[in-house]
Amino acid sequence: MPFNSSLYLVFLVGAVAIFWLLPPVARRMFVLVASLAFYATWGMVFVWMPLLVATLVFFCGKRIQTDAVRARSWARLGIGCLLALLAIFKYRGFFFANLPFAAGVIPRYNASLAASIAFPMGISFYTFEAIGYLIDVRQGRVKMPAFLDLCLFFLFWPNILSGPIVRARELVPQLSLRKPFESRFLFEGFDRVIWGLVQKTVVANVLGIWVDRGFSPTAAGIPPTLDAWFLTIAFGLQIYFDFAGYTNIAIGTARLLGITLPENFRQPYHAATPPDFWARWHMTLSRWIRDYLFFPINAKWHGAPLPLYLSLLGVMTLVGLWHGAGWNFILWGTLHGAYLVLYRIYESWKNARPNWDESRVIAVLWRIGTLLAVLVAWVVFRSADLNRALDILSAMFCRFSSGSRFAAACYAYAALLVLFCAAEPFLMRKLDEIEEHAGDEGLSAFRVLGRPIAYLFGLLLFLLFDTNNAQFIYSQF
Amino acid sequence: MLPDAEAIRKAAHEAASQVAGKPIKEGQKIVSSGLIDSLSVLKLISLLEKKLRVSIPPETLQPEDFDDVDLIVETVQRVGKSME
Repeated sequence: MPFNSSLYLVFLVGAVAIFWLLPPVARRMFVLVASLAFYATWGMVFVWMPLLVATLVFFCGKRIQTDAVRARSWARLGIGCLLALLAIFKYRGFFFANLPFAAGVIPRYNASLAASIAFPMGISFYTFEAIGYLIDVRQGRVKMPAFLDLCLFFLFWPNILSGPIVRARELVPQLSLRKPFESRFLFEGFDRVIWGLVQKTVVANVLGIWVDRGFSPTAAGIPPTLDAWFLTIAFGLQIYFDFAGYTNIAIGTARLLGITLPENFRQPYHAATPPDFWARWHMTLSRWIRDYLFFPINAKWHGAPLPLYLSLLGVMTLVGLWHGAGWNFILWGTLHGAYLVLYRIYESWKNARPNWDESRVIAVLWRIGTLLAVLVAWVVFRSADLNRALDILSAMFCRFSSGSRFAAACYAYAALLVLFCAAEPFLMRKLDEIEEHAGDEGLSAFRVLGRPIAYLFGLLLFLLFDTNNAQFIYSQF
Repeated sequence: MLPDAEAIRKAAHEAASQVAGKPIKEGQKIVSSGLIDSLSVLKLISLLEKKLRVSIPPETLQPEDFDDVDLIVETVQRVGKSME
């Protein structure tokens, strides 16, 4: 049951109504059952997977806490098992296709058998949550909760499919689910759900039709320069609105139950530098990588330059691999690693010159350069093979040609969305001001008229545009 | 022996302000707000070690253990080891 379906809206309204009508003591069991039912709609066969992860974490976590002598070994065992599950279900095809010797290790390996094993939805997301959980228990940051809490943490339906990647210490304390009902939960929740549906169906899906056509491996030769730029910008917009739309529905769904999930986006295309982009894009993955990989590695080397640069490249390559088992994702991650290294080199050069005053021009150049670099990396990310990526990049930067293969309305739509993104911080500020002006209580015109009209308009757009029910891009990861 | 909580608080405030490049307020979040990044947290740790003459092993810590002055005090008290 995808978030962007009418069926999900029916499920959501029904589940939220039952949740608030139930006595607080019954809510936890209800959310667990609803989460299992939601996950089962993606395939009954994998319902056991998050339960297996919860059992594994519970078993190893208990031993980490009680067996101080072998705590490190229990943590390693737990993390090793989780990574093995991820490798088996997500990367087996990639490994066997790219490591020819591996096929020899298992003589009876059969590619069609590997392909026939389906992919458990959300496994990359809840595996990372589980690894973080075990490390946090090992470091004394969290105590092991009851098994039911752990099952709820991993199965919680709003974020099981594609995040946000939540820390135990921010979600588990909220899972007592005993908050009294407040009307703001409904406003805040539906605001996010409906805006998310509009982002997905009206923006991401529409752009996706053109992007699929332009990036298809069967598309004819090098595109005209205008089209190469159009396709690149369109994909940058598509993936942002798609993932931000999904995240808004996830955060909104949780909010309807009175739960706060962490944010995942903060206007990423307004980033001033490459590190700033990663502080704004998929923020919960960035902080996971920072907390459990990047910081411990660099703490060990006291932030020395060479380990820093190597760790940036290595960690970002892993981020690429996390997105998918394909060379395009690995190359995309490595490119981002290279951007981060480049910026750190500049930063250390700047720090070595205390009198150096970074002019506004240089700051603007970094901002434009970051945006361009991110767009170039999206071309690699989206292209089915390197040849198609090179075709599009060469058309953008060196093999200029005139002409266009899309209708004028396509370019106009993309231009309108670029303007929206440019104005997004301003629009968000204005919305916050309206909300603040309305105050916590009382029936302002915004609440009585503005919101219901906006909801109806949003739902109408969703129903009008929801023709192909396209999957969220990040649900493949 | 570790310095007392007040001395740690004073050092934490000075070190955090120095790394952030501007005075920070009581309770102000410096890592989760993006004011300083994870590499700056390493500088903050090294400043705290010098000011308080303690050793803070950062491998088992996370940047947000240094998110505000209260958390810095708590973290130093939890993991800091006196060098005297």
